[in-house]
Amino acid sequence: MRVDVVHNVLKLNDALAGGIRARLRAAGVFCPNLISSPGSGKTTLLEQTLQHFAQEWRQAVVVGDLATSLDAERLAPFAQTVQINTDGGCHLDAAMVSNALEHFDLDEFDVLYIENVGNLVCPVGYDLGHDTKIGLLSVTEGEDKIVKYPRLWREADLVLLTKADLLPHVPFRLERFMDDLRQLNGTVEVIHVSSTSGEGLDAWFEWLRARRATQSATPAT
Amino acid sequence: MHEVSLAAALLPVVLEIAAEHGTRVAAITVQAGELAGVVPASLELAFRGLAVGTAAEDAALVIETVPVRARCRRCGLEFAVDDVVFLCPVCDVADCETVDGTELLLTRVELSDAG
Repeated sequence: MRVDVVHNVLKLNDALAGGIRARLRAAGVFCPNLISSPGSGKTTLLEQTLQHFAQEWRQAVVVGDLATSLDAERLAPFAQTVQINTDGGCHLDAAMVSNALEHFDLDEFDVLYIENVGNLVCPVGYDLGHDTKIGLLSVTEGEDKIVKYPRLWREADLVLLTKADLLPHVPFRLERFMDDLRQLNGTVEVIHVSSTSGEGLDAWFEWLRARRATQSATPAT
Repeated sequence: MHEVSLAAALLPVVLEIAAEHGTRVAAITVQAGELAGVVPASLELAFRGLAVGTAAEDAALVIETVPVRARCRRCGLEFAVDDVVFLCPVCDVADCETVDGTELLLTRVELSDAG
């Protein structure tokens, strides 16, 4: 006997993500999901971002790694932080984030950053209830990562080209990077940033502030 | 490489359908979009491993790949996306929604006639 169905395998995840999104919206918490390879500079950028907005926003971080709480320890001086260890898992899913939210009283926060597990593939397919997906690529990784791992750049609202101070020293083809990116996502914004030189940080902070303002103006659905 | 967690999400749905009919599973069909990040052989291996000792232990796994399609936000044209180039053939701009190609769907369960 044949049973025809249409069942989304990620239905449970997506349902949980919808619940997270509703809770965050109800509490007025803006939630960016940061995705990149390991070592592209997510945590360093977050350290600077948390410091920059320290007087302006009440901030929290959920950070995912396979093991250790090193990142949470780095970020803890600046924000309430919960480390998720995936024990080998390659991405965060909505169930993990939902559990992590038990550690927060959402009404006491304005922004919740999710620092995903360093991986350009698996995190992209999982809705976590975030408001915006931000992809980071460091110039040392090479511009070919755009076409090799297309889905992240396709779905990102913003691409941060990190370690931009190293551009003169590495064979990163900027024109190729932009051409490939435009073929995937013609409307994505791109900001060059360097946590070392400070280049682009103001533009990044401004993007975040504007995006949050847009979000706040949108009624919860 | 998260096929194990995908297989772990898939198996209970299959087993529930089998249990409703009181039979074992002969075959299942899954549609995986080209951008879903699913390696068919890995999904099959993970499913096989998890299904041991269940009613789906002997099920054949058919994985159909779904090509990527997009719809232009500017002119509304729906077009096939080759080599992840999302440029609208008319507008020459990649300002489009992905219509197909990121899904992972269970579409069919074939149950053994003998219960």
